[in-house]
Amino acid sequence: MLLYYFKLAMLSIRKTPLLSFLMIATIAIGIAATMITYTVNYMMTQDPVPGKSDRLFTVHLSSWDPNVGYRMKDGKEDIPIFMTYQDATNLYTDQRAHKQTIISFHKAMVRSAAQPRGQATMTYLRPTTHEFFSMLNVPFLYGSPWDASDDSQGSQIVVLSKKKNEQLFQGENSLGREVVIGGLIYRVVGVLDEWLPLPRFYTERSDSYSEPRGLFVPFQSSINNDWLSGTDGSVYCWGGADLIDLNALKASECVWLFYWVELASAELRDDYLAYINRYAQEQKALGRFQREQMNRVMNVAEFIEYNEVVNKDGRIAVWLAMAFLIACLLNTMSLMMTKFHGKGAEVGLRRAVGASKVDIARQFFCETVIIGLAGGAIGLVLALLGLYVTSEVYSHLHAGLMEMNLSLMLLTIGSSVLASTVFGLYPIYKACQIQPSSQLKSL
Amino acid sequence: MLQTISENAKGYNMLKMRGVAKSFVTKTVETQALQPFDLDISQGEFVAIVGPSGSGKTTFLNIAGLLEAHSEGQYYLDGKDITGLSDRSKSSLRNQKIGFIFQSFNLIPELNLFDNIEMPLRYRTFSRKVRAQRVMEALEKVGLAGRKSHYPQQLSGGQQQRVAIARALAGSPSFLLADEPTGNLDSKMADGIMALLKDINQQGTSILMVTHDMDQARQAGRVVEIRDGYLTEQQLALTA
Repeated sequence: MLLYYFKLAMLSIRKTPLLSFLMIATIAIGIAATMITYTVNYMMTQDPVPGKSDRLFTVHLSSWDPNVGYRMKDGKEDIPIFMTYQDATNLYTDQRAHKQTIISFHKAMVRSAAQPRGQATMTYLRPTTHEFFSMLNVPFLYGSPWDASDDSQGSQIVVLSKKKNEQLFQGENSLGREVVIGGLIYRVVGVLDEWLPLPRFYTERSDSYSEPRGLFVPFQSSINNDWLSGTDGSVYCWGGADLIDLNALKASECVWLFYWVELASAELRDDYLAYINRYAQEQKALGRFQREQMNRVMNVAEFIEYNEVVNKDGRIAVWLAMAFLIACLLNTMSLMMTKFHGKGAEVGLRRAVGASKVDIARQFFCETVIIGLAGGAIGLVLALLGLYVTSEVYSHLHAGLMEMNLSLMLLTIGSSVLASTVFGLYPIYKACQIQPSSQLKSL
Repeated sequence: MLQTISENAKGYNMLKMRGVAKSFVTKTVETQALQPFDLDISQGEFVAIVGPSGSGKTTFLNIAGLLEAHSEGQYYLDGKDITGLSDRSKSSLRNQKIGFIFQSFNLIPELNLFDNIEMPLRYRTFSRKVRAQRVMEALEKVGLAGRKSHYPQQLSGGQQQRVAIARALAGSPSFLLADEPTGNLDSKMADGIMALLKDINQQGTSILMVTHDMDQARQAGRVVEIRDGYLTEQQLALTA
């Protein structure tokens, strides 16, 4: 019987092609608009390190100027999300977490050793420590991260992103090859596989939806090289610091480093925070940390929320798109009312020959399902097209933001079918209420 | 006043109405479309319903065909009291006991003849094979066996009405309800349809036919007149 209803539905759709097209197009446009905004929002709010994000914490210390607060946030005093060099290295030396990493920034002219100097390009680097890779589940195509001794020595070794490896070495296995960074030779020890954490949660908000940096080097090597670059990251200072060189920065109370830890379990959070508070008390005894102590650790989700990585405007856009979808569906509903009303004589006839109201409802329900499926399929194509255009227009943003995964595609089709059937219920109800005797002279 | 119209039963009492009446009520006025009446129609009878326009003929037919509910009285169809039956039960009764024939044929233009005739069978649990067999038998009865793949608009008015009759017959109903079945046909085609209906009746199917045409009414075995909502039995000389 279901096949019969679908056959009737197809005949009905073909019988009124314009009306059917308008219904399908209206649903498709509404679904496409909603899914474009929803996809971007959904991708923005993905868990960037699934299975681990509740065990990764960033550490924030109240090391700021005792006389003037760092800043106000939501009507309350806030503390920096960055750390001073001395605090980061102190905590790192302590090794109190399961894993810990310091995250810095630098930029320099970069080329492969085989390339002429003229081909060097200005490149953003990521000085960090070896556990960065395992903490963030970074996949390797070739080689592996450096180790703790490379960190302590500041070895001149580098891990390349897949993209940078393609630029410098045409995607070949470049392990052991040399890269010239700011005039210094670095040896390649690893090449990353495709890695696009979304959002890129571990640094500043402004970097959340851009691609990860192309080169990773031991943090200590950037210190050894006296690399100081204040233009591609944030350095916040107080107390009249004079940043004439890196040594001045290291000795200052300026904050500029991110510090992340991985704990063995989320339950150890309080213990770790207690350790941080003890450290702060020790520093206070040494004359630092004179402000009220508001030290904190934040897991990935909390930091994403705190950092306002997901723009509230994005959520509003989703609501607006859904309102637009509802407007489209109300239009579709009125078209369905028109269509089903026009089939009053057929309803009357079918009722006369033995169809119950339930039979009529099933027949029209199948029609709304087909309309929803067609609207969903076309809406999916439009949404993919829209996302492609958006990714071209906003090419500086992470391409992954504008890509639908399979579950989103299925959601597109499913929500279209659901929407058309829900909004088809009233027209179906009205069609079932048609008095057959009133229609039998009008077929 | 209760009118009683009860023919001496030839056979099994197919339709039995007792004190059946119909009124339409709006906010301001109540209209009595059919005054209370009794009526018995036996198996194998051919009854013509006559009367002027607006007298209540179609309302009567709709009540008899379970398309409208009566306001008062008892209605027994094939021995079953239909008062208070659910929509599904009434639909099932319509499907199995009643065949409808309409003045304007009421064929669905986008379905071919086979699919049009098969329609009532779709609401039963027949296999595809049984449905096909019944459709072909019905088409043969009306002389259109070779045209099952044609569409209604490819046929003449008389042929379309034959298809409608085939559709009514396909479910092997206990009786046919025909609402001015020849009203849209010329006299030659109308004669053909009447001959077909008489033939069907002679094979045992009861027929209840609304008509304006007294010549056709006389061809039925029995005539009931409805005038201003009152049903009366007419004693008319039957034609040869």
